[in-house]
Amino acid sequence: MPQILPDFSNSVKLKYVKLGYQYLVNHILYLLLVPIMVAILIEVLRLGPYEILNLWKSLHFDLVQILCSSFLIIFIATVYFMSKPRHVYLVDYACYKPPVTCRVPFATFMEHSRLILKNNPKSVEFQMRILERSGLGEETCLPPAIHYIPPTPTMEAARGEAELVIFSAMDSLLQKTGLKPKDIDILIVNCSLFSPTPSLSAMLINQYKLRSNIKSFNLSGMGCSAGLISIDLARDLLQVHPNSNAVVVSTEIITPNYYQGNERAMLLPNCLFRMGGAAILLSNRRRNRSRAKYRLVHVVRTHKGADDKAYRCVFEEEDKEGKVGISLSKDLMAIAGEALKSNITTIGPLVLPASEQLLFLMTLIGRKIFNPKWKPYIPDFKQAFEHFCIHAGGRAVIDELQKNLQLSAEHVEASRMTLHRFGNTSSSSLWYEMSYIEEKGRMKKGDRVWQIAFGSGFKCNSAVWKCNKTIKTTTDNPWSDCIDRYPVHIPEIVKL
Amino acid sequence: MGDQKSRVNVHSVLTQVSSRPSASDETYPLTRLDHAMGHHTIHVIFYYEKSPFGSFDMDPIRVTLSEVLSSYPPVTGRLTRDDAGNWAVKCNDAGVRVLRARVGITLDEWLRSADGNEERDLTVWEDMPEVPNTWSPFRIQLNDFEGGGVAIGLSCTHMHGDLTSLILLFKAFSEAHHGQAITFPPFFKPPAPPDRKFSVNNSKSTSYLEAKLQKQTPSVKMSTATFKFSDSVVKQCLSEIHDKCPDASPFDLLAALFWIRVVHLKGPKHDDHTHSLSLCVDFRRLLQEPLPYGYFGNALNFSLLSLNEEEMDCSMLGRVAELVHCHVSGLKEEEFWATLHWLDLQKEEGGKYAPPFAMYGPEFTCVSMEHMIIGDQPVMYSMNFDSAKPVHVSCHVGNAEGEGLILVMPSAEAGLARTVMVTLPEEETAKLCEDQSILHLKPTMLLRSI
Repeated sequence: MPQILPDFSNSVKLKYVKLGYQYLVNHILYLLLVPIMVAILIEVLRLGPYEILNLWKSLHFDLVQILCSSFLIIFIATVYFMSKPRHVYLVDYACYKPPVTCRVPFATFMEHSRLILKNNPKSVEFQMRILERSGLGEETCLPPAIHYIPPTPTMEAARGEAELVIFSAMDSLLQKTGLKPKDIDILIVNCSLFSPTPSLSAMLINQYKLRSNIKSFNLSGMGCSAGLISIDLARDLLQVHPNSNAVVVSTEIITPNYYQGNERAMLLPNCLFRMGGAAILLSNRRRNRSRAKYRLVHVVRTHKGADDKAYRCVFEEEDKEGKVGISLSKDLMAIAGEALKSNITTIGPLVLPASEQLLFLMTLIGRKIFNPKWKPYIPDFKQAFEHFCIHAGGRAVIDELQKNLQLSAEHVEASRMTLHRFGNTSSSSLWYEMSYIEEKGRMKKGDRVWQIAFGSGFKCNSAVWKCNKTIKTTTDNPWSDCIDRYPVHIPEIVKL
Repeated sequence: MGDQKSRVNVHSVLTQVSSRPSASDETYPLTRLDHAMGHHTIHVIFYYEKSPFGSFDMDPIRVTLSEVLSSYPPVTGRLTRDDAGNWAVKCNDAGVRVLRARVGITLDEWLRSADGNEERDLTVWEDMPEVPNTWSPFRIQLNDFEGGGVAIGLSCTHMHGDLTSLILLFKAFSEAHHGQAITFPPFFKPPAPPDRKFSVNNSKSTSYLEAKLQKQTPSVKMSTATFKFSDSVVKQCLSEIHDKCPDASPFDLLAALFWIRVVHLKGPKHDDHTHSLSLCVDFRRLLQEPLPYGYFGNALNFSLLSLNEEEMDCSMLGRVAELVHCHVSGLKEEEFWATLHWLDLQKEEGGKYAPPFAMYGPEFTCVSMEHMIIGDQPVMYSMNFDSAKPVHVSCHVGNAEGEGLILVMPSAEAGLARTVMVTLPEEETAKLCEDQSILHLKPTMLLRSI
């Protein structure tokens, strides 16, 4: 959507005007402070040292007054420091890299599709068209059970996949951070579509022999944005429990949810969802402050479930043959756009610089009072953030957000490349994207990152992180063997 | 296949992919010789006492297999027709089909009690469909025996390669599993003829091929028997015929022996008074510019050795072995190029190769695997898993009709020991197993029902 200013927004003169305006408004306090200080200085110099001394002597202080004012100051300071929310630090995180035997090249996917859906050539054609335009690459992975003809999604296979993904990510996290399992105070696992008894968090507690007074939570059914919901929950818990470590495990288990019917709306997730998982360590301990990678600044959650259309747009149900699958409605993108607008309306005032907020406010007043036909002003979020991690839900989602937020290709590169290399790994995709940015050496101290995720319900959740220290590239991450090949050009349609 | 239900129970099918995507969309054309072999299929079975595949789904050995498959893009590709209508392999990484089967008895019991036909169940015998774009030409079948043994069966169409290629592919896999360098890395450039003219008309091979083209054989039910001859016995035999044939190789000896006995078994021929033996020899190292062993494709030649009836009747083993020896050592690369040239001439309009005909048969055919013994070690028994050699290796050729087929292969025991697999019409195989001249050499009989 274009700005309200006239067409010559590309001209150089206007660019300088914009820059000047931004500088003025963002630093207004400093700019006002300077003349005041100059005035005081001139006054002081004018008065001379004797005058100042006399002024000081004329103020009569007695003991009671001094004591009261100092107590007041101490009291206010104490209340301030006690009520300040604890800072939550992200010490480190680890993403799961699937083994090469789980790789699914396009040819293999289409071949399996043809062999399994041999009575439904139209469904096969549909899957081929989706795959061609999906933005996925040839190295995305599906769990072993799906490589069988026909797939063998037993509960044992699902548990096997869960163990493989979650334990590998946890092992990697424990090794990277040097954390001892006994030091984990809070454990949150989110996996939307697989919820066995005992829960996945119990599985972790059993495997790593975690403490008996651990606070564990297992979030299921909350869709692809559950990762940020878990982070929000961890943050709230870390406000209540001082000096604690929280581990958040985000994953999606594909094995039990591979749709085996031929309803088109339900075949779409098969083409996009892939194996992946991430484990994140959050802490509010002081000693982690210096070695933490990020500090959590804001989490904003928006739920559009009150609207029926939004509620039904990602719906798990049985098809005509009784096979269970997730049906995606056609107005998914429109609903996602609405949810995003809601979310940025809330997050805007928290993160945008004063210049953008002022412009937004003036446009809002103008639309309400003067002329409703004025186009709404879309704030320039590129001034608030250096990096964007948009959930790699699909090519359409990334395209839509890039258009709506007016982001450049480099801003959405992490999302597109994650979609290409790992596919849609649901709640953990944000962490693969962060890892990409770090491995490219672009994450510097003070950089602000915006993670946006969409999920069934319909939800749009955001998290804002501030980088605590410049991050060096490493070799123990899922991008290490292929980062040099990226970014790749992803064609609109891959010929299959 | 007998009336009884097979003891091999296939329970799952999956696809194994390579670890790295192949460089975009290459199409690997198949050569004239590859096309000519299209009527047949090849199957190799490796028996191990202890299966190297543990949990299977997440076993690291599968990662090794994926890595090895990355070096063989034509193996994971799919057949497609090129512009001229000839077969080519589209290297699209679709992967190889892996089947898993369970056998209800132990490995030893199997080797004792199963017969040659039942052994066929250990690999996949599938005809190529009309449209093979979702059909995997390479199939691996893992057969788990009771007590931990395994038989790994590889099969593919003869168009993709010969027995040597398949065996060396498996060897590369076993070497990669142990982190060793691959001894015979894959090589995909087909041999190019040198700039010399070849006379097609007078060549022995081409006239033989012409004859093959014409013949039609009725299909008869065949059965297979396996004979293992020990090193000492072969050595003794060679010394016995030393005066007639001083440079005989074990192949010459065994080919001659079996030919004589089979001719004897079949009885006198009525229409024709010559006895012919078709010899199949690998040409990789016989070319002037030798092809590396790792050449992945067909590099074999069929030639005919004929004896008339009288000569056969009164010949001694030594004399026939001498003839075989002279024939084999007299094979020149001109034969090979002449065959290829003849195949070229058979092309139809637009450059499409002629449809394939039976290359193995209709005469009694003998395949030599002497080239698989390098130094003193049989390459076929050198693919170790966890320091265990294969207990036995079997090879089968599909659609090899005609009078019969014998494969003379190296044995687990190094040196001059050989394993001979004979495929003949059912009654003849039974009679051969009781033939005194053969039993005199004290062979160990495997895989034939008693």
